[in-house]
Amino acid sequence: MTASTDTSILLLRLAAPLQSWGENSKFNRRETRTEPTKSGVVGLLAAALGLERGADLSTLTGLAMGVRTDQPGTLLRDFHTVSDYRGQPLKQSGVNAKGIQRPTTPAKYTHVTHRYYLQDAAFLVGLAGPPDTVRELAAAVKRPAFPLALGRRSCPPTQPILAGTPASELLTALSSHPWQANTAARAGHLRGTKPAFVHLPVTIDDPAGGETRQDVPITFGLHDRRYMQRRVRHTTVQIPTGFPEPDAAETGSSVPPVGHDPFSLLDW
Amino acid sequence: MTYLSRIRINPLRAQSRKLLANPRAMHSAVLHGVPGDATGERILWRLDTDNPHRPLLYALTQTKPDWSHLIENAGWPGADGEHADIADYRRLLDKLDSGHRYAFRVTASPVQNTKTPLKSTAAQVARAEAQAQQAEAQRPRTRSLRLGHRTAAAQLSWFLDRTQKWGFQIPSTEFEPQLPGIELDESAPEILISARQRLNFGHPDRDNMGRSRVTIHTATFEGHLEITDRERFTATLLAGIGPSKAYGCGLLTLAPIPSA
Repeated sequence: MTASTDTSILLLRLAAPLQSWGENSKFNRRETRTEPTKSGVVGLLAAALGLERGADLSTLTGLAMGVRTDQPGTLLRDFHTVSDYRGQPLKQSGVNAKGIQRPTTPAKYTHVTHRYYLQDAAFLVGLAGPPDTVRELAAAVKRPAFPLALGRRSCPPTQPILAGTPASELLTALSSHPWQANTAARAGHLRGTKPAFVHLPVTIDDPAGGETRQDVPITFGLHDRRYMQRRVRHTTVQIPTGFPEPDAAETGSSVPPVGHDPFSLLDW
Repeated sequence: MTYLSRIRINPLRAQSRKLLANPRAMHSAVLHGVPGDATGERILWRLDTDNPHRPLLYALTQTKPDWSHLIENAGWPGADGEHADIADYRRLLDKLDSGHRYAFRVTASPVQNTKTPLKSTAAQVARAEAQAQQAEAQRPRTRSLRLGHRTAAAQLSWFLDRTQKWGFQIPSTEFEPQLPGIELDESAPEILISARQRLNFGHPDRDNMGRSRVTIHTATFEGHLEITDRERFTATLLAGIGPSKAYGCGLLTLAPIPSA
């Protein structure tokens, strides 16, 4: 680990009507994790930089990642059926000895697929790395080479994605950025209470962490997609809500402030 | 002498319903706060409904007013606290100078004059036809028609076009990006329209749906101003801006700029 002066943090705000962060999806069932995966974020940054499919990703995968869940969102299941528009039976998944895909026997006309999305979620993602790399990535995210998407091409982000490039530790950066939840999500989270702080879950890369994730991409090449493991640990950070602390001394008068008080200039 | 007053209005009183619903009734009540001939002086007033359950009436009068009738009929006559604050406005007027900055609020009635309206009302058509009947030589020189600006953009440009004449200017916004990643190329004036209304009312005590009804479009402007001409600005404060001053428009009030 390098000293805090040598690292800079790229903070990304990933919020959208729909997001989908698949880690271990197979065939017709495309699942989503509850928070952004490293492969999804690396893919987003690679798209911003304009890297080709088979490009070397070691610079991006070398960044330590932390994800703060500001607004968990809810799960959306999208039910699809897929058919041949000519009414012909679908092809087999494999090929025969001649390399030809035969029609299914007995004939199968409809694929049933499920795609899962996170709806109305917001995350704060921090990536720690050398200041030069972070500066380059921040510029790329501001002016991306390819359109950016949150896990799937059908999930464009609500802007702005870039939330700053503080020069600090990853966990410090994640705990000092304001809460990104919208008004409705705040109300749902607080349920009428007015706490001074909320505690938000954070998943952060840590070689000594107790959980593994199989989502570090080696390459995004079309024919040899492979992933490595990483170790993560879970923690929470304390974020101010803007409400006063209950123990703080009451100051000022009991008169609620008005928007415009002409009498304050008149010394009455 | 000039006095600025602030009167608490209890919206649940029967009398205050009438006053709040009808600017003509409110104007009458304000004029009756002055013992002398109120028609001889320029009395300005404004209703601030930041909290609709606790509206506040501001009034600027040349002589010292008495608001007992409003308090008894539309306030809380037996309650604690100041029913009506009355302050000497001269203290503020003496402090003003060019270059000073203040927060301001004004409810105004932005209008334009035209001889050729796009959509004439029945009364306007009748008036034009009556004029067309007359011989060319006898036709009197008539005023243009006064039309209210009805869009926020037109109301804002009406205001911004006249600030120099009124002795102040609107400084540019000191923009602090709330969301990193958004960059503004040009700065905007520090002003916003916080409320817009179309008011249509008749005489409060008569059933009048005809010609005596008044329709005005008002806009409440809030923001920061910088005084450029002390004399003009003082005159603007005392005389108000724009038309419909009898109906709660034109009173420009100042407050200190809130610190961030």
